[in-house]
Amino acid sequence: MRPHGHRLRWMGRLDGFALAAVGALALIGILFIYSAGYRGEGMEAAPFYRRQVLWALAGGFALLVAAAADYRRLAEQSLWFYLIGLALLGLVLLVGAPVYGARRWLSLFGIQVQPSEFAKLATILALARLLGRPDLKRNDPWRLAAAVLLVAPAFVLIAAGPDLGSAAVLIPVVFVMLFVAGVPLRWLALLALAGLLLLPAGWLVMGEYQRERVRVFLEPGRDPLGAGWSKIQSQIAIGSGGLRGKGYLQGTQNVLGFLPRTVAPTDFIFSVVAEETGFAGAAGVLALYAVTLASGVRTALRARDKTGQLLAAGLVALLFTHVFVNVGMTVGLLPVTGLPLPLISYGGSFMVSTMLALGLIQSVHVRRPPR
Amino acid sequence: MTERGQIGRLGALAFGLALVFAGLGVRLALLHLGPQEPLRRRIAATRRHEQPILVGRGRILDRSRHILAMDLTVNDVCADPQALLRDGYARFVGLHLARLLDLDPAWVMAGLNQPERQFFYVERRVRDDIAEEVRRLRLPHVWFRPVSARYYPHEHLMAHVVGFSNHEGVGSAGAEQRMDRYLRGRPGVRISERDGRGVELPSRRSLEIAPQEGANVYLTLDIHVQQMVERALDEALERTRAVGAWAAVQEVRTGRILAMASRPAFDLNRFNESDPEERRNRVIGTVFEPGSTFKAAVIAAALDLGVVTPEQTFDCESGLWMHRGRPLRDYSPHGVLTVADILQKSSNIGAAKIALEMGEERLERAVRAFGFGRPSGIDLPGEEAGIAHPRRNWSALSISRIAMGHEIGVTALQILNAVCAIANDGFLMQPSVVARVETPRGQPLYVHEPSVIGRPIRAPTARRMVELMARVTEPGGTGRRAAVEGYRVAGKTGTAQKPSRGGYAAGLNVASFVGVLPAERPVLGIIVVIDEPRGERTGGAVAAPVFREIAAEAVRYLGIPPSGEVELIDPAARARARRETEAGRDPGDAL
Repeated sequence: MRPHGHRLRWMGRLDGFALAAVGALALIGILFIYSAGYRGEGMEAAPFYRRQVLWALAGGFALLVAAAADYRRLAEQSLWFYLIGLALLGLVLLVGAPVYGARRWLSLFGIQVQPSEFAKLATILALARLLGRPDLKRNDPWRLAAAVLLVAPAFVLIAAGPDLGSAAVLIPVVFVMLFVAGVPLRWLALLALAGLLLLPAGWLVMGEYQRERVRVFLEPGRDPLGAGWSKIQSQIAIGSGGLRGKGYLQGTQNVLGFLPRTVAPTDFIFSVVAEETGFAGAAGVLALYAVTLASGVRTALRARDKTGQLLAAGLVALLFTHVFVNVGMTVGLLPVTGLPLPLISYGGSFMVSTMLALGLIQSVHVRRPPR
Repeated sequence: MTERGQIGRLGALAFGLALVFAGLGVRLALLHLGPQEPLRRRIAATRRHEQPILVGRGRILDRSRHILAMDLTVNDVCADPQALLRDGYARFVGLHLARLLDLDPAWVMAGLNQPERQFFYVERRVRDDIAEEVRRLRLPHVWFRPVSARYYPHEHLMAHVVGFSNHEGVGSAGAEQRMDRYLRGRPGVRISERDGRGVELPSRRSLEIAPQEGANVYLTLDIHVQQMVERALDEALERTRAVGAWAAVQEVRTGRILAMASRPAFDLNRFNESDPEERRNRVIGTVFEPGSTFKAAVIAAALDLGVVTPEQTFDCESGLWMHRGRPLRDYSPHGVLTVADILQKSSNIGAAKIALEMGEERLERAVRAFGFGRPSGIDLPGEEAGIAHPRRNWSALSISRIAMGHEIGVTALQILNAVCAIANDGFLMQPSVVARVETPRGQPLYVHEPSVIGRPIRAPTARRMVELMARVTEPGGTGRRAAVEGYRVAGKTGTAQKPSRGGYAAGLNVASFVGVLPAERPVLGIIVVIDEPRGERTGGAVAAPVFREIAAEAVRYLGIPPSGEVELIDPAARARARRETEAGRDPGDAL
């Protein structure tokens, strides 16, 4: 036995595939945030990438911390995490700093944090705990009702941010967790129907900018210079990449600023990757996400208990939703929502929360029962 | 739930995820590997940057290079109402601007009191010196935008010939309009690429077509002759209290117009404040019944055809002749007159009888030969053709009426050109106001050469006709007041009643005089038309003195030697003659 082996033994049980993919994605993120800030030879690139390096390192640390923590202990305390998350969300509404018209950020000791990301993790943890309790029958209607009631406050508070896109991420997550928890399919169908009936109400509570985005999505030519601009330019950028891409730092749509500089390193980073590395690079990035998510599903399959399984499945659903919505937006399949791409998009709060989510999956993974 | 069931659901989840990823992959493949051409075209289209390189408009100058129209940099005074209101300067700035720019303070304040606007034109096209005064105050949120504006230094002078270009820089009247193609030049174009913010990228310029500067247009007109004409017209208007007056001076041998003026007139710099009546160039744009001046053409044609001789006599019926059941009257009664006297005394009855001798067909041919009924083709917009009905539409009385200049519509330029043809050995010249067009570097683009457009009468007839017309300004003629001291003037008076609904308006005349001088070898042709003079109303009383005033000044200014002296108009020949005179020889020997 190696020194300290008994305390660090869990590290040996980490999922190597998943960590390699995560590391690769974070590295790609840094490279292309540099590219997105690149303006031409001899000109100073926008300094985003340097901070992204720090955040990637902080995220890696957060991953390891989360992996080291026993998810079962965390689940036991999940109600407290959840309540703290709700409190922070409420605080944001009161004192948060508005960014592009939305109050999502909270300044903690000079560091801007986005409580909604952490609140979502706490919600998933609490939901995994609720649905994983052995004393509730799988077809007990109270379980479904309790799950919906649990998620509703977080959803409303995040949506009131106002960040409907970020809140909406919870919907597929809840469905996946209920699905994996074995809730009968007809109940899920009923729940979905109820949700659909609420859609018109949703349209009413949406901000005007959100409605405009949906309209622009439905009619791309509606506003080619305004809200539709990013979307059109993103598709052009991706398509112009071809099979092999234009080469690193050579993406003219990006370098010449046709992709708006405000969104190129964040929401539209994928189109920068796709333009410069072509289909090969873009498909490679998707493959890395596929590896990450597939490892998560494998973790769920091999989890020690039902809570671990639901936690892993919920986190996989969370990451997947982000990837799908973001990539779907950049390739023009979905409306512009402003959801970042996990691990690659510029942003510290989201990087750390993503890493925490991946760390929680690892926490389930390292505590899997031996075969 | 069984372990098995849960594994099944996780498997379904994995399958679903895989399906969605495959979908994204397909979409990526479609975008990346799909047809590239339309994409490339879209990229090129959003990047393409096409920028016109604008050029200044050419100048218009008179024949001695006096500038009549030029581009000038002026200033649009702009303000930001929102910022002014925010900072509380609106009132202060508004009052200062109103004072310096001579604007209504209430209007300025209303303009600045628009909190939702960030841009307001306080005043457009402000002269540099005034802009400088405003600039010196350093008013906050007020700035200047230099723009190129058309400036006409001589304001009213020659307004109808020079014309104006509108605020978009398009020539809209006069030479500005007709010569627009030359004046405007050709803007160049720069094709290049731009970045996402629309800023041009100089390193990616692919094409640059240099602009062609607007060319300068030189008129045949002379600013000094024009001033003489306009001054004379203004005095005449005041004297006669007429509603309008117009005049033109033409070089007999070349058809070039030396002056062309029309009243009422307008300031070219304020063309937008003028009304269409002021803008009309009446010399070419007003059709009127010429009256007796037309007899010159009729009698010239009759002489040329050999229908009559100058000595032939006609009974002028003591001023009242019943022709085909209608009375024909003379202004003053005459008995038997020679053709020469009919012209001199302007007998309507005599002219009618001469025309009857010619017959309808030959009269019509003569009218058309002198250029009536069609535009002269002068290089100005807005020329009227006049009205000369074809013979098949004539009534039985038409021939006698046309003979005295009724039942026919002409422009002043047509009459002038016809009389100049008589003075030019029968050659009808193309009237013109544009002498040449040159690039700013002096390279000629267009040069007008005098050209003959008709030959209504033969040279011997023409010379005799000038002699007969010279008697008009001599004692016993109707145009005595057109006589210029030292010069023999050949001309013809005209007094026509103005037509009104169904007949002629009582007491409303168009009085005119057209003439050439010196009669021995005519150089200048001048026409003066006074519209609705009050008091004295005949051409001889109202128009002839104006003719004299213009002619007397013009011959002196142009150095045209008096009658009886050597007829030299060529400056070189005159200089040679002077040298020879000084050498003690009679210059007459030289010819």
